[in-house]
Amino acid sequence: MLIELKDVNKTYNNGQPLHVLKGINLGIDRGEFVSIMGASGSGKSTLLNILGILDNYDTGEYYIDGRLIKNLSEKQAADYRNRMIGFIFQSYNLIGFKTAVENVELPLFYQGVARRKRHQMAMEYLDRLGLADWAKHYPNEMSGGQKQRVAIARALITRPQIVLADEPTGALDSKTSVEIMELLQQLNREDKMTIIVVTHESGVANATNKIVHIKDGIIGQIEENFGHHASVFGTSTIMK
Amino acid sequence: MRDVFIEIWESIRRNKLRTCLTGFAVSWGIFMLIVLLGAGNGLMNSFMMGGDDIATNTMQVGGGYTSKPYDGLEEGRRIDLDERDVALTGSEMFSDHVDQVISSVSTSATVSYGKRHFSGSIEGNFPARQEMDKIEILCGRFLNEKDIRESRKVVVLQEDQAENLLGNEVRDRGMRLMGRRLDDASGRKVQVRDLIGKYVRIGDFSFRVVGVAKSNDASNSNTVYAPYTTVRTVYGKGRVVDDITFTFHGLESEEENEAFEEQFRAVVNLRHRAAPDDRRALWIWNRFTQNLQMNKGRGILSTALWIIGLFTLLGGIVGVSNIMLITVKERTHEFGIRKAIGASPWAIMKLILAESVTITAFFGYVGMFLGMIACQILDKTVGQSSISIMDAQIAMFVNPTVGLDVALEATLVLIVAGSIAGLFPARKAAQVRPIEALRAE
Repeated sequence: MLIELKDVNKTYNNGQPLHVLKGINLGIDRGEFVSIMGASGSGKSTLLNILGILDNYDTGEYYIDGRLIKNLSEKQAADYRNRMIGFIFQSYNLIGFKTAVENVELPLFYQGVARRKRHQMAMEYLDRLGLADWAKHYPNEMSGGQKQRVAIARALITRPQIVLADEPTGALDSKTSVEIMELLQQLNREDKMTIIVVTHESGVANATNKIVHIKDGIIGQIEENFGHHASVFGTSTIMK
Repeated sequence: MRDVFIEIWESIRRNKLRTCLTGFAVSWGIFMLIVLLGAGNGLMNSFMMGGDDIATNTMQVGGGYTSKPYDGLEEGRRIDLDERDVALTGSEMFSDHVDQVISSVSTSATVSYGKRHFSGSIEGNFPARQEMDKIEILCGRFLNEKDIRESRKVVVLQEDQAENLLGNEVRDRGMRLMGRRLDDASGRKVQVRDLIGKYVRIGDFSFRVVGVAKSNDASNSNTVYAPYTTVRTVYGKGRVVDDITFTFHGLESEEENEAFEEQFRAVVNLRHRAAPDDRRALWIWNRFTQNLQMNKGRGILSTALWIIGLFTLLGGIVGVSNIMLITVKERTHEFGIRKAIGASPWAIMKLILAESVTITAFFGYVGMFLGMIACQILDKTVGQSSISIMDAQIAMFVNPTVGLDVALEATLVLIVAGSIAGLFPARKAAQVRPIEALRAE
């Protein structure tokens, strides 16, 4: 098991205590392409934050590759995020005053990789995603799909164990959304990358091989979806 | 390191006006600090002028008036030191500390040369006086042993007096530094060295000029030097002396000096039948302790100026801190992204601290540079002028500049100030949790 969650609970204490995750048990193997699907308020974003070590949980156990992720110092959490996890966000989260290639380089900067080396690696990844010509452009000069591909390059450059995508198509039109999901499928198929996508769109979920349904902080049905017939709308397109 | 500077440059470039306005406050603070210290130095230097000119291990003793009755004698009695006091000072009794003892005797006199004259005093002295008072001879020589032995009628003038006798204008300090060439009424060059070997009249007698000494800026006494024996004989001073001056050794602290002075005073006072602790019967001018106090005063003034300067700088530091807080707030989302992809809290903190130190140091150096220029301007203008008080030329500012040590100290101050200014904003940036930072807009 690459990822293992055992009875993970999370409560927010902002005035009224809010029990968001009510005992999550989940295992994900290396090389899986999984979507976590649920309505807003179902706890899927909280689960993603815990998986990404951006947030901590109250009780239970969370292992990545057999390593317990609990009560880490900020420094250690930052190091784990840097080396084990690649993030893809709905709003791209590129740094506006840095060019595409500089954005892709950034995770390597925090690993202390030399400038020349990381620039070369960043260019390789941009090239793979068909953005070599756009390397010197700033994010606001690019389309949404291009921005998201830059973000994917940034997520991949540290060769992480897991790629976490939070509504990766949420800000894209349907055509681009299909392209991005095909890109993720390709990464999973060819590079054996473990990818977890959080979404509320059934079409996006249908593009993945396994769909984890989450409702009111509890994991419901887990369906295998190698045939990609899970969504009535999602057979050939993504509903917007 | 270069990456950090690129990041800082990017951040500053986006907020040029804001950064410059804040930087101005820092520049102003350092500018004021440098100018204050420079002016303070100038002031202290003018006090110290002459202070540096005398040997510090000497004491000068003079007679005063008794301030209390003693041994059946009433107060207010004049104490005249005489040659037996001189002998006593040099005797076995004080030989632990006292090295060389000399005395002087003086009387008022009018000195004239041709039609020109001035009134002052003629002081009978010993050759050792030159060493003790650091009298600098410009031309000719000072008194020597032979003058004393043979009671020669020779005299050493001060430069201002010589110029005066020659009819040259006494120029101010700045002019004097540039050279000494002035024409007399007939257009012939007259220099003070031409006075050597000439005779001047002092009272009813002719004295041969053997030397011209540099004028003593510290004192305004209009004194000419002649051999001790000559003055004593010619003016019939008997055994009375005006002062006793001696060099000493082995008195390092203020306490030791105090104790020695007490002991010395008691012995001399008793010889004149004055109370042993009567401070006004015997004046003791200890140049060593005076120098100590002078240095202490200098230290206090300099500390006071540093404090004023640092408080001025404080305004600038608060400004930088404020700007960094705004920067941190604006960049919270960006820091969230950085944290998500692996920036440690320290990496974020470093970014803010480095930016703060860079802004402070850069603008601080601009201020320091301008401050140094201002000090130079001060030196070239106010530093060259002097004011006239009771016939004496007194320079208000002497070399009002700061040295390399102050520049280094100020650099240190800037780095510390920049760090302090950045500390709280940087902590704030480092502590915000990544998910909260990512949520921020």
